[in-house]
Formats: sequence, structure tokens, C-alpha cells
Amino acid sequence: MENTVVKIDNLVKRYGELVALDHFSLEIKEGEVFGLLGPNGSGKTTTINCLLSLLSFDKGSIEIFGKKMTPVSYDIKKDIGIIMQNVVVSEELTVRENIDYFCGLYITDKKLRAQYVDEAIKFVGLEDFTKFYPKKLSGGLLRRLNIACGIAHKPKLIILDEPTVAVDPQSRNKILEGIQELNRSGVTIIYTSHYMEEVEQICTRIAIMDKGRKVAEGNKDELKRMIKNTETISIEVLGLGADVLAEVRALPHVYDVKYDEKVLVISCSGGKHNLIRALDTLQKHEVSFGRVYSELPTLNEVFLEITGKALRDKEE
Amino acid sequence: MQVFKLFFMVLKKNIMTPMIYIIVFVAILIPMSRAGAAEKTFKDASLKIAVFDEDGTAESAALRDFIGRKHEIVKLANDRDKIMQALYFESVDYVLIISDGFSDKLASGDTEGMFSTYHMHETYSTVIASQLLDSYVSSVRGYLAGGMDMAEASAMAADAVLQEAEVTIARSESGGVLSSSSASYFRYLAYILVSVIISALCPVLLKLGKKEFRFRTNCSCIKSSSYTLQLIAGSVAFIAVIWLLMMVVSVVQNGGMFAGNAWFAVLNTLIYTLVCTAIALVICSFEPSDTVVSLVTQIIGLGSSFLCGVFVPMSLLGEGVLAAAKFLPAYWYVKATEMLGGNEKFDAERLAMYMLIELGFAVALMLIALVVNRVKYTGAAIKLPKLAGENAK
Repeated sequence: MENTVVKIDNLVKRYGELVALDHFSLEIKEGEVFGLLGPNGSGKTTTINCLLSLLSFDKGSIEIFGKKMTPVSYDIKKDIGIIMQNVVVSEELTVRENIDYFCGLYITDKKLRAQYVDEAIKFVGLEDFTKFYPKKLSGGLLRRLNIACGIAHKPKLIILDEPTVAVDPQSRNKILEGIQELNRSGVTIIYTSHYMEEVEQICTRIAIMDKGRKVAEGNKDELKRMIKNTETISIEVLGLGADVLAEVRALPHVYDVKYDEKVLVISCSGGKHNLIRALDTLQKHEVSFGRVYSELPTLNEVFLEITGKALRDKEE
Repeated sequence: MQVFKLFFMVLKKNIMTPMIYIIVFVAILIPMSRAGAAEKTFKDASLKIAVFDEDGTAESAALRDFIGRKHEIVKLANDRDKIMQALYFESVDYVLIISDGFSDKLASGDTEGMFSTYHMHETYSTVIASQLLDSYVSSVRGYLAGGMDMAEASAMAADAVLQEAEVTIARSESGGVLSSSSASYFRYLAYILVSVIISALCPVLLKLGKKEFRFRTNCSCIKSSSYTLQLIAGSVAFIAVIWLLMMVVSVVQNGGMFAGNAWFAVLNTLIYTLVCTAIALVICSFEPSDTVVSLVTQIIGLGSSFLCGVFVPMSLLGEGVLAAAKFLPAYWYVKATEMLGGNEKFDAERLAMYMLIELGFAVALMLIALVVNRVKYTGAAIKLPKLAGENAK
């Protein structure tokens, strides 16, 4: 049986009248890549700050590695790696010195530390930049340095708070590949992001947060099954009559049909062979059609349906 | 000791400005200390005098011998152009022509036309040479009036005028314990200490005290108290080095180790170093930018130095300025230094009071820094979710 690495139970965090976390509970198992998804202000970072004991909370409990987490739980902290949303490095230190400094906050043995620092540099691909100062690095390289500083001490649990914000696609892929590689080596990962594709790509389980509450949890397939829409069919078709539209609406599992004189969009809830049935109906009425698409729901749609708002808010 | 090590790594990158302050200060001190050393001994002035004897008598020869006993007789051609040239190039300080009839006039008491001279206008050598001749002539006439003959009178006058007095350099009429150059050095330290400490300490503390940097460190195994203690240890070590360096320079400048009450100057500097550190902490608590730190360094360094008598002696400052300066710690530091330098009568009790006032400033400033940080910390805790990247809830 997998061990529980993180257990958050009924966490409540208030700022005066404002409830930032509302009886929030979570359990993360060893070896998972757990995605914490939510719009701005949903409570993701507050959760992480409470998890790291950077913030006190009003009610509930947090256990990490089976022990109660407190600000002085140094035995727990030594096994946690944190990669903050903003790059936190010293401008006065070189790439290597920065990684060595942060690694030194956990590892006191100089020889072992030197080995860990070398491995972290290699892992993020900064071998050619070890003597560079942060201000000489591009945004992507800076993010990689931030990650190296967080993972150099070989933690068992790594928390990444939106590590790919403002990163070019090449560096983003490198970072995501790195996270998957870390996970393959047995590290448990908590990953918060606005980027749905990233979460779909790397997370084994996802929790959706809104207004400080967990509104859904599961793997991506489980989440997609939670919503009404299971398939959206789009067919390019001209001059569709009202009788045909009525017949399409009457097809089993179809719950919504939209037609704008060019494209017919059929939303289905459950069932199989929905596309075939729709095309058969068009052929029966000798309606010729162009391109046909069938799309499964995205996490964004899942989120939209569950929370009633877009995930990225004003972003992008 | 990761944070302690980091402190000095960051300091290394920010040390250029403070180093410039120190180098310029010490470079200015070298001529100052030389001037100070010269004040400690007395040497009678000796002039280069050219003598042309047109009288050619025993009396004029006696005068020439008299001059030669104390001053250097320079040989010079009796040519106006060459004399003027020699005076211009200072190869001679004074040119004396003993006029024909000198001995007769000396005997008769007629001083008109005894000599003609070439000399630079209003120089100290001219004054010394003129006084020397006046003294000699007056003395000879005095001895002649007393019944001596010319030979005896000339000899006695020469002995009397050339008699050397024992000279003791009084350090101060009011009992100062520091030489004037040392007192100046300690006074100027008020400027250099505040400038160096603010310009070096603030950038380092600001960088290592950044909220995000602290949060990141708080996520690690290092205790928050250990982080703060290592920062304090780094600051203390740096300040101690700066203070020791300045004290070593002061010993070199003084020409030896301090003695007796002069150690109060060292103690006074140590207390003022604490004040400067407290000022730096107050500045840091407001989290200014590097540019603002640089600006504040200049304002505090130069402003308090001009107001409190660091560059301009207190005696030259107006009463209004001095009344306002009393609210600045540099004023009390300079007051203590002035007393040790002899500009004010030495009084141990008053000196202790000055130093206690300085200490009071240090404590008050540190409390202000503490309160500002406390308020800031409380504010930061409330705003934390926003800072960490989330919108207002």
C-alpha cells in the first residue's frame, strides 16, 4: 500500500472576514504528481504556504511524512524541496554558488554537497553556465536555476508553485521533462499551475480549487467523467433544414445542438457511437458535409462546468 | 554558517564604494599626519643671509660674526640682478648691506642708514632678520650706555640676543589628551564611519532580508533565529574589522600607541560605530532601493558632518546650527573629541555624559528599527497570499 506523504485535514485559514481556505482536505500518496489547479485567488498558494508552515492557520491539521508539520519541523523540512513562483536567488552569487548556498541550508557535509550540486547542475542542464551571474541568464535559464536550487538536496517531496510562468516553450518542455524524471526516481511532487496542458501532461491526480474549497479531485479521466459533456462533435455543413436539426436533437445522448449556418456543434453526454449516429442522420437526408471533428472534454471545460468560470482569469 | 558565509559573499560584491571612502580618507590622512608630527618638536629658524660689508670695521665684522653664529652666511655676487634672482629662487632669504659709517652710527646712536637690504616683501624670514638686527643694535647700544666699550658691548649683545630659550610645546592650554592631528583624525572619523557602514551594510542586509529570500530560507532546515543570528554575526564581524582598521590607522597616524585618557577617544569611536550601525538598521527597515541608500548615505554623512562640526570647527558654527545639531549623535561624538583634543577642559564626568548620550541615540535608533520591522512583519503576514502570487480575495 502506498504511503501518504501529505495529509491536509479540514484546513481553515481566515484573513479577518475573508475565508482563504474553507475546510480544505487533501491526501497525497507517495510517488504521485499531484496537480493543484485553480484560478487566481482560489487558495493554491495559501495552501502551499500553510503546508510549509510559512503561514499559520485557524483550524485543521497538516501532516507530512506521517508527522505533524510545524514551523520547527526541521526533520520534515529537510526532505522538502520548494520551487517558488518567483525566482529566489542571490544576484551576487554565480549559478554554482547559488545552488551551493541553498543546498547548504540542508546538507552540511561539504563533499556530499559538492556532489549534489554537480548533479543538480547536470539535471537542469546548466553545465555551461556555472560561473554566470543570474542577471546574465535568460528567463528560461533563470527558472532552471530556481529549480536546481530547490532540488539539489535530493528531497522526497517537491513543491513547485507555477514554475513555468513566463518561460519559453523550449525551457518549459525541459522543465516538465525534468519533473517527470524526478517523479520516476521516486519523488512525490505537488504542482500548481494555471496551464491546463501542463497539468494534463504530467499530473497523475488533480484537485480543483475554488474560493478556498476543493471542488473536485481525481485523475484526469475521472474529472472528465464528472461533467455532463463527454463528447463535442463539430461538422461543417451548409443549408441545414429545421427538420434535420430536430432529428439530430432527438438522437440519444445529445443534450445540446448549435448551428450557425456553417458548423453544426453537437454536445453529447455519455453513450457510444454518437458520431456515427449523427453522420447517419445527415446521410439519410442526403446532406453533404465537410470536415468532421470529435473532441473529448478538456480540463478547462471540466473546470468551467464545475466552477462556472474560466481557469486563467485575465491571463493570456 | 551558510548565511554568515553568504553575508560576506554579498558584501564582497558591494564593497567597492566603502573601499573608495576608506582609501580616499587614508590618503588624505598621510599629509595630515606628517603635519601633525612636525608640530611635536621645536626647531629654531635658520635663514640664509648674504652680507655685504661696506663699512669694513671691527664692529661690522662683529655683526657679521653674530649673524653667522645662528644663520647661514651665503656668498653672493654684489650684483643687483643676481641678488634679485637669488631672492626669487629662494637661494637666499635676506640680503644685508652694512653701510659705510655703520660703526660710527652705532657708537653715536644714529640708526638711520646703518643698513640697506634686499628681501621679499612680508615674509617671515624678513621679519625674523629685521627683528634680529633691531635686537642686536638695541642691545649694543644698551651695553654701551652701561659703560662698556664697543668690543665688549658687541660680544655681550651677541650672547644676549642668541641666548636660546627652552621651548616646551603645550598640547593645549586646557589639558587636551590628543595631539591636534589626532583630534582632527578622530573628528573626521565621524564622517567616514557613518558613510562606510551605511554604504556597505545596507545593501547586504537589504538583499539578505528580502521577504522572498527569508521565506525561501524559512522553508529549509535552518532555524529562523539562526538565520538572524548569522546575519548579526556577519554585521558585527564587518563592523569590528572596519573599526579596528580605523584604529590601526589612528595609531599609525598618532605615531604610537595611545596613552592614558587618549583611550577615551578609542572608546568614543567604538560607541559612535554602534550609532552608525543603528542608523544603517533604521535605513534598512524602510527597504530603500540602492539609489536611495546611496543618497541617504550622502545626506546623513555630509549633513551631520557639516552641522555637527566635523569639517568646520564648532567654534565657527552659529548658535542656531549648534542648537539643532544637539539632536544629532555626531554632535556629541564631536563634542567628546573636542574635549579630548583640548578645545574644551577635560572633565571625565562630562565626557561620560557625552558618550552616554551617543549610546542613548544608538539604543533609540535600534528600537525604531525594531518597531518598523515589527509593523512591517505584521503587514507582510496579512498580505502574504497576494505577495505569493494570488489576486486579492
